[in-house]
Amino acid sequence: MSTSYRHRPGRRLAAAAVSVLAAVTLAACGSGGGSGSDSAGAAPGGTPVSGGRLKIAFYGDLQGCIDPNQVYWIESRSIDRNIADSLTDQDPKTGKIVPWLATSWTVNPQATEFTFRLRDGVTFSDGTRLDAAAVKTALDGTHDLGARSILGVTYLAGYQATTVVDPTTVKVDFSQPNAGFLQATSTTTLAILSPATYRETPEARCAGKVIGSGAFTLDTYSAGRSVKITRRAGYAWPSSLVTNKGAAHLDGIDVSYIGEDSVRVGSLTNGTIDIAWPRQPISSADQQVITASGATIETRALPGIAGILTPNVTAGRPLADVAVRKAVQKALDLDSYAKTVFWDDYPVARSPLTSTTPYFTDESAKLTHDPAGAAKLLDGAGWTLGSDGYRHSGGRKLTLTYITPTPSPGDQLIQDQLKKVGIDLQIKVLTIAQLTPQANAGSYDLVATYLTRADPSVLGSAIDQAVSKQYTARYSQDPATAAQVSRLFVTGQSTVDPQRRASAYQDLQNYLVDNAVVFPLYDRVQTAGVSKKVHGFAWTSEAFLRANDIWLST
Amino acid sequence: MARYLAGRFAQALLVLWAAYTVVFVILHVLPSDPITLQLSAGGADISQLTPAALHDLKARYGLNDPVGVQYVHALWHALHGDFGMSLTQNVSVGSLIADKLPSTLELTAVSLPLMLVGGFGLAHLAVFVRWRPARTLLARLPAVGVSLPQFFVGLLLIQLFSFSLSWFPATGSSGWRSLVLPAVTMSLIGASMLAQLLTRSFDDTWREAYIVTAQAKGLSRGTVQRRHVLRNACLPALTLLGILLGYTVTNSVVVEAVFSRNGIGQLTQQAVLGQDVPVVQAIVLIAAAGFVLANLLVDLLYSLLDPRVAHAAGTG
Repeated sequence: MSTSYRHRPGRRLAAAAVSVLAAVTLAACGSGGGSGSDSAGAAPGGTPVSGGRLKIAFYGDLQGCIDPNQVYWIESRSIDRNIADSLTDQDPKTGKIVPWLATSWTVNPQATEFTFRLRDGVTFSDGTRLDAAAVKTALDGTHDLGARSILGVTYLAGYQATTVVDPTTVKVDFSQPNAGFLQATSTTTLAILSPATYRETPEARCAGKVIGSGAFTLDTYSAGRSVKITRRAGYAWPSSLVTNKGAAHLDGIDVSYIGEDSVRVGSLTNGTIDIAWPRQPISSADQQVITASGATIETRALPGIAGILTPNVTAGRPLADVAVRKAVQKALDLDSYAKTVFWDDYPVARSPLTSTTPYFTDESAKLTHDPAGAAKLLDGAGWTLGSDGYRHSGGRKLTLTYITPTPSPGDQLIQDQLKKVGIDLQIKVLTIAQLTPQANAGSYDLVATYLTRADPSVLGSAIDQAVSKQYTARYSQDPATAAQVSRLFVTGQSTVDPQRRASAYQDLQNYLVDNAVVFPLYDRVQTAGVSKKVHGFAWTSEAFLRANDIWLST
Repeated sequence: MARYLAGRFAQALLVLWAAYTVVFVILHVLPSDPITLQLSAGGADISQLTPAALHDLKARYGLNDPVGVQYVHALWHALHGDFGMSLTQNVSVGSLIADKLPSTLELTAVSLPLMLVGGFGLAHLAVFVRWRPARTLLARLPAVGVSLPQFFVGLLLIQLFSFSLSWFPATGSSGWRSLVLPAVTMSLIGASMLAQLLTRSFDDTWREAYIVTAQAKGLSRGTVQRRHVLRNACLPALTLLGILLGYTVTNSVVVEAVFSRNGIGQLTQQAVLGQDVPVVQAIVLIAAAGFVLANLLVDLLYSLLDPRVAHAAGTG
């Protein structure tokens, strides 16, 4: 679903060339190996000082929208987290939902009715009070966005109405169970904006007409060029996860976009920017350059759908046979994938969900690399090894077509791993414009996807046929399997009892791996290079930036 | 002269129309549907829409009409400067272009003089220096410049002048400092090509009989070069310059990516990858207009510099 905007092809070589160059230059300059950071958590780097503007460079801004309710683009959501508050917050360590704009809440056992009690004394930056009516306007407004808010559509699935019970109490009703909604209220997508915002057109909101109640206010947003946000004086309602209970330490944050990895890294090491925030994990060569300059690498394993491949099981295609799918699973060496494509202790995929997703189940015992087992399964399925090293059945070669908009060294690695058991993987690199129609038509065998959200129901938006019309859902299961998968998703969504949700999602993950409905490939990690000047750096649960506690030393 | 100008102007319009039409045809025979693309850019899928919503959406972009009608509509609006709405960014193409064009024009305006100074300077040196090894080296240098990939030069300059020496910023588009490195990168290939061409025509012109006459009159090397050689040798260079100027958009794709400048080049890349048909169409038209304009200017300059052309135009 969101595989489309990763690194742009063709820059890889340039980036590699220059990171080598940069490494050499730096080594030659003999830059002192400043080690260790005092950035994360409570600052041992001293007492926070107020002032200064944080300069941060992201990879890009292809969506060109800053409205938290509409945007799915990760980088914009990181900015939004600091200008807009949500009803709840989520603890990045435990996944627990904690109070923010709502001080407490109740959910009925069917997970169709959510009642929130609101915090007192909160105002938006235009001076309007945050009350039950404002929350209703915000949720109705986000729901009205429809398909303009791709994330909102899933978060608010079955949304019926928000009712103002009294000025500080709102009730949200759903026509179907939506246990994931509580977590959704902690996201930027369901951030509560000022009622004035919802009188603007969606286009105007995207272009920057958004007013939140956050610790910063949006000054200027120039799509793809720059963003400036400024501290809001008198801010006093952070979530309980924030140490600094008052206004932010920073005067403001200046955001720029640098598409080229090597230039972004160089700008960090020479002090032009304070935080370099790429989309793909920072390569180990660049990590060395960054740490050599005294800056640190911050990482957070992203919650949500892991990097997965989904099959096309249409009758007549090789992957329609569950034995072949299981053989593919066994042929994949996830351990060496993590080590080769990323770095030595990069987390290995252990489930279709990443390890930081709530209710993640460790399936690694079933995901072991077993080429002999794969060969046996393929023999049993009638695919016999030919003299060309590939398997054949009835005169047909065992060829799988993999379509992707973004070539990655990982693709060649999988190709090689599958070749070892006699499967011919054809990699077809297409522009997103070519990929969409081809994938919708089902002319592929494997396609990759991932998505970030700290709730296991996110997997449904990619593979549950009852929820999603995406090709990753439509073609990855035959009707019987699809019914079973949907049933497991419904069970997980229809209870808020943590124990029952855990067991439902455990069953789901077991079922997906046992039947090779999806192929986990790699865990996902967000990395950021952070200058030694920066203290109090913090990730949100969904690995966005939280700037309340950040301060700059000189 | 007026008739000549009118003829050239009509020709320019014809070229623009042809460019517009060819692009329209090519983009419309591509096997994909703009609505699907637009939805997928927003992360949605066409099957999530009701048929009525789909119809509305198509009507909004005028996609329900037959292709012929779409073409006439698009052309009519384009003639009035209205290129429609971007399919992926939800804003008008006109405002997108207006937003990005100044930065690219700025870059071109700075890199053009650099190209001229670099090209003419190097060629001058190459024919003027008398020590043979230096002369050979200078004559070979442009070949190196032409073969260096732009992105590589750009990254090298960033490493040296931004990261090591901190003279110029590596990214952004604010202030003259941020223009220096991208403009140098952009002018390099053009300057090398100019130098290559000029060195050769200088060499050729120096062998002409009228140069011998000039020298026999007792003129210095410098005066001969300035008065006689340059004027005759620069005519082919002028033609090349017109072509180089026309390549502005193409050049800016790489340079703007390397230096994170938000201009027409970046827009082109995004629009092409996302098959944002109206945007691509507008950019092609701008590029074509640039080409036509540059060549028109060159032709007019030709008639000023070369009396023979002016004479032919006057009688023809």
